[in-house]
Amino acid sequence: MISEAFIPAVASLGSVALTLGLIIFYVSKKFHVEEDPMVTILNDILPGVNCGACGYPSCGQFAEVLVETKDSSMTCPVGGTDLAEKLGDTLGITMAEPKPITAVVLCQGDNDTARETAEYLGIQDCWAATQTYVGPKQCRYSCVGLGSCIAFCDFGAMRLENGLIIIDKDRCTGCEACIPACPTGVIVMQEKKAERYVIACNSHDKGAATKKACDAGCIACQKCVKVCDDDAIVIENFLAKIIQEKCTSCGKCIEVCPTKVNCILLEEDLKEAKQKKAS
Amino acid sequence: MKTFKTGGIHPPESKFTENTPVELMPVPKELAISLNQHLGKPAKPVVKAGSEVKKGELIGEADGFISANVHASTSGKVKSVKPHPHPGGHYAMTVFITPDGQDEWAEGLNTDPVDWHGFSKEDIIGKIKNAGIVGMGGAGFPTNVKLAPPPDKKIDTIILNGAECEPFLTADHRLMLESPEEIVEGLNIITSLFGGEARAYIGIESNKKDAIETLTRHASSKGIEVVSLKTKYPQGAEKQLINAITGRTIEPGELPFDKGCLVQNIATAVAVYEAVCKNKPLVDRVVTVSGLEIGKPKNIRALVGTSFRDISLFCGNLKESTNQIISGGPMMGKAVYTLDVPIIKTTSGMLFINNVGIEKARERTCIRCGKCVDVCPQGLAPWLLANVAQLREFDEIQLLGLANCTECGSCTYVCPSKRELVHWIKYAKALVNNRQKRKSA
Repeated sequence: MISEAFIPAVASLGSVALTLGLIIFYVSKKFHVEEDPMVTILNDILPGVNCGACGYPSCGQFAEVLVETKDSSMTCPVGGTDLAEKLGDTLGITMAEPKPITAVVLCQGDNDTARETAEYLGIQDCWAATQTYVGPKQCRYSCVGLGSCIAFCDFGAMRLENGLIIIDKDRCTGCEACIPACPTGVIVMQEKKAERYVIACNSHDKGAATKKACDAGCIACQKCVKVCDDDAIVIENFLAKIIQEKCTSCGKCIEVCPTKVNCILLEEDLKEAKQKKAS
Repeated sequence: MKTFKTGGIHPPESKFTENTPVELMPVPKELAISLNQHLGKPAKPVVKAGSEVKKGELIGEADGFISANVHASTSGKVKSVKPHPHPGGHYAMTVFITPDGQDEWAEGLNTDPVDWHGFSKEDIIGKIKNAGIVGMGGAGFPTNVKLAPPPDKKIDTIILNGAECEPFLTADHRLMLESPEEIVEGLNIITSLFGGEARAYIGIESNKKDAIETLTRHASSKGIEVVSLKTKYPQGAEKQLINAITGRTIEPGELPFDKGCLVQNIATAVAVYEAVCKNKPLVDRVVTVSGLEIGKPKNIRALVGTSFRDISLFCGNLKESTNQIISGGPMMGKAVYTLDVPIIKTTSGMLFINNVGIEKARERTCIRCGKCVDVCPQGLAPWLLANVAQLREFDEIQLLGLANCTECGSCTYVCPSKRELVHWIKYAKALVNNRQKRKSA
């Protein structure tokens, strides 16, 4: 009889299932975690790229901490002002406006201006190259120019042009993922400004040594320091530096720079670029 | 014939200069003495531009526990102290000296040999420290630190490394033929530091029959055993040499003194003898200049700080077809990008080669042939390390034994797909280090 043969099997398996089911029910009640539905809502609003620019390992963590503390000073640089408004509306608080920052490559030594060391045939990666020698360019402070950082950018803001990394300021969100990816530390973060001058050189060598290695390097000649009316330029360790708070973007320094605009850069007008995009 | 257990390769030996006696190179027009000639912290400069120095005078002071003194290689005037290319590939603080041509020793240095048997243990180690002696086989670990292991570690085996397993290099070989007495005395001094029980060995590869004979003649009466080793790369690596001679295995994470062993290079033994008996700091060394692109391949005794350019001119200049210059041997050496690089205490050779005929650069995919696993002397799986490095899985790669790789280059040598296995491993090591630095910062 088939049905009789089934009875013990169904009974035993059924009792096992029932016991396990009860255990699961008990555990789920006993160890229940109360999750704020707000976290899920915020998680949907946040960009979801888990870039870490906010200081938390993921967007989920950011949302949890934000719901818990309602700290209005927490910012997401990727989302910018729009996101800050949305987050504020959802939580019923006024969020601080994030200061938009952008990555800047402090080097202008491309294949035309920087002197080469030797032909490099090894692994085409900045870290691999700098393990064997200074890199394809003579200047040891320069952008190595093999593009290891590109893979680290989640936003497609970096590209390699003529042996030098170029950063697309519209796309860069300032998440800082590229900074640990650079072996020479040539990428820094700066506030996004409509008009901004920056000394795009990283060489702490003395003037003569810099000039020998690169046409676009800062040779610390002091000319820009003397011409600046706002005392916004200082020379530290054979490298000029513009103090952004003091700089009034008058452009006098560009005119006197003997390395011809190469090392002092006027960042593109961000407002204009945005307007162009909108229209 | 003794050899190590795991892996190993046998590349063409190419020892063109094994029958060329060591030639003394004259003092060049300028010396660039790097202050970073050893493992650990670079030395602190104690001279300024304009100061007069005598040969053997201190110019760089050891900075910290693992560091070594640096001395002027000749008498003259300090021209400048500035960063300069280093044979390791990067820049290092370098003291430039314009020689006065007298090559005059400072007072009390390089005296007639005295008997060392009366010296105390502290005296001997102090003299070695003052002389700035470092491991001259390539790693450059300060010898005085190595000779004073923690008191709970008992050293019972002292090995002198005369394997010289790298192709082309013959500097140690010539030293063994030309100064066997100094080598034996140096080894006796080192052995005396560990009491009477320590056994001393000299390990020499079987392709140097004449060196084995010479040293056996000089050493056997002093209780030193000369061991003939199979000609196999990397026989001269510390862990492999210990395994070959004593059968002991240095486990990952252990140092030789954990297994009661101490290994020193042949050239280091000579330097120890000269420092203890003649009060002579380490200011020169024997260098093999070889390769098919140099006019006259030679073994030379050159002052520390002599530039590659001066040496190449002394050895009949390099041919126009040279396209790679290597500091060290072909397996573990580093390519240099300028002839201004000076030699340092650890430069055992320089090679001028042309690798145009060698199929180069294009890495192909791993075909899982397992050759790299067969030859790895550390028992690793280099193909896997390289693959994981390419994926940037740095937690996993540490579990696979990244730190145990000695970068001997055997895997890259045998790889039929021309994969840059050692380079990938170096890449992974750099990024793992960088990550740890960032975490601790």
